[in-house]
Amino acid sequence: MKSIGWAIIAAGAVALLTVSACTSSETPSGGTKTGSKHAVGVSFDLLNAIRQAEKSSIESAAKAAGYSVVFSVADQDAQKQASQIQDMIQTQKVSGLIVIAQDGKQITASASLAKARHVPFVAIDRAIADQQAVSFQITGDPVSDGRAVAAEFIDAATQQPLKVLELVGALTDQNAIGRRDGFNAAIKGQPNITLVSQVPTDWNPSQALDGTSNALQKDSSINAIYIPSDFLLPSVQSALTAAKRLEAIGNAKHVFTVTIDGDPNGCKAMRQKTLDADIATPIQDFGKQAIAATTSALDGKTISPRSVQAKGLMLNQANFASTQSQVWGCAG
Amino acid sequence: MNSTKLVRPLGEVVRREPLLPVLLVLLIVLAASYDGFATVDNFRNIAIQASPLVIAAVGMTFVIMTAGIDLSVGSMLFLAAAIETSKSIVGHSTTVVFVVVCAAGIGMGLINGLAVACTRVPALIVTLATMEVFRGAGGHITRQQSIDLPGNLRGIGTGSLLGVPNPVLLAIMIALAGALTFRRTVFGRYVQAVGSYEDAAVDAGLPVRGVLVGAYTLAGMLAAVASLAQTARLGAVQPSIGQGYELTVITAVVLGGTSLFGGRGSIAGTVLGALILTSVQTGLVFSSASPYVFDIVRGGVLLAAVLAAGARWRRIAHALGLTGRRVRSKASATAV
Repeated sequence: MKSIGWAIIAAGAVALLTVSACTSSETPSGGTKTGSKHAVGVSFDLLNAIRQAEKSSIESAAKAAGYSVVFSVADQDAQKQASQIQDMIQTQKVSGLIVIAQDGKQITASASLAKARHVPFVAIDRAIADQQAVSFQITGDPVSDGRAVAAEFIDAATQQPLKVLELVGALTDQNAIGRRDGFNAAIKGQPNITLVSQVPTDWNPSQALDGTSNALQKDSSINAIYIPSDFLLPSVQSALTAAKRLEAIGNAKHVFTVTIDGDPNGCKAMRQKTLDADIATPIQDFGKQAIAATTSALDGKTISPRSVQAKGLMLNQANFASTQSQVWGCAG
Repeated sequence: MNSTKLVRPLGEVVRREPLLPVLLVLLIVLAASYDGFATVDNFRNIAIQASPLVIAAVGMTFVIMTAGIDLSVGSMLFLAAAIETSKSIVGHSTTVVFVVVCAAGIGMGLINGLAVACTRVPALIVTLATMEVFRGAGGHITRQQSIDLPGNLRGIGTGSLLGVPNPVLLAIMIALAGALTFRRTVFGRYVQAVGSYEDAAVDAGLPVRGVLVGAYTLAGMLAAVASLAQTARLGAVQPSIGQGYELTVITAVVLGGTSLFGGRGSIAGTVLGALILTSVQTGLVFSSASPYVFDIVRGGVLLAAVLAAGARWRRIAHALGLTGRRVRSKASATAV
């Protein structure tokens, strides 16, 4: 009976693979570097709203350049990502790779494999620790984004003293660490700003909800919150709602809030005037520059500069009307 | 004499639920250490936060008591939430949405249960696979986007009845129902029997497959109910909901005294385990500890609680003559 069970599972797996292969719209064209059409392998660490936007950005730039796209998601598993990239290089014979690394150190092995096989390796969004095998890298500038957030807090603190709750993303994510460090360094020594609570969220909405609730319970005088990603904004707003403190700007109970990313949650909150500012990540640049770098590499041209840090775009209530069209999450 | 009448039942309670004094000591220490911890609002907050965990953990308790495991609970939670906000469901009345979501949970649990019971493939493998399947299905439905929950579906997470928050009421009802099912029904007895010694249960003519299917189906349904409460609190369905949640749920169950080898467990212990985990999380925020310390402290408290609860298992081991030490007083053979 047990062997029948394993046989059923094996048969099911084969069937699923067959179905997915037959229905997949993201099959490589089989082009070679000297062929008529190149296939670009895209490997993401995970898929969420911002990653969807990055994927769309790459796909539209790739389409404009005449490339097909082979896409895979590693579900936050560095080993899985390494296997997927190896498959793309060796089996699917992609001409170039665009990668958002789950682990900036472990991905070095994949970059080295790509270099050995003469496949340009482009990193976006997350920096790679060892740049030797990386053809081009474009990331945000998390430290600069954190400082930009702090600038909004410093400006707001001229009106009233701020007691700040700071949410922190995953402690293994360099973007989360950069956003935290940039913010903390900039507010250090500011007379009207007190950091009351620092809560880790592990990029988990439930942890953000519970952490915010607990922090507000601990200190009801908290009147400012730094949210390191729009992705956590709904959770924070739910906690504020439960504490009867989600109010629009101008209301005495309003809690000063600034986030990063510029996703649809952030844009919606800006329109509703429950969010004071959002530092928008330049998603469109990531896709365009990644494909442009891949094209240059395939043409044998030197890419310079090899590493670009794209600063976030400040979107606050003062410039929202004029700036929102430039923010990826505010489109539509 | 009067003090003996009081001490004996209290001692019995502590023997049966060694986590209870652990929780009480934890709460007392936190209350003494931090202003604002020992308030009605804060305890209410802890109860609300623990509620989805209690609900999911009650279901997991039945699974683990059959000597099984369900790694797909986090993914079931996500898929249930995705179905709740799907375009084909969201416009309907609250009752219809809840019935559909619970039915989805039953369906997911049924898949797990049938696969485990009928193919005899280890539950670890089956639920590892369904964990991926359910999460993928949820991602397909939501297109990996954050979807706001309509207002009419938020009451279960944000409303209250006679001052008691709805999630807490739901958790209490489910915990009581779970405890009654476990202690007073034939199904509950069969779960213990199957987990204790499956071959003997088969020889005794117990419907082992039916029990396994029932346990996993119950876990699936309760994961869906937990999802209703949790997403109502969050106000939105997000792609990462439930990721890693299975570990937290299993921790609460094991912390509560349910044996991973099956046959022994306690719904009350599971509830206490969930409350301890949530209280520790709250206490860490009150302590303003560095974020890097959170995981260390959580693990440390889990270790301390398990060691403290471990004294019960030593007495049982002594009573069974497994250690060669004589025991002065009778110890119960089961932990329920």
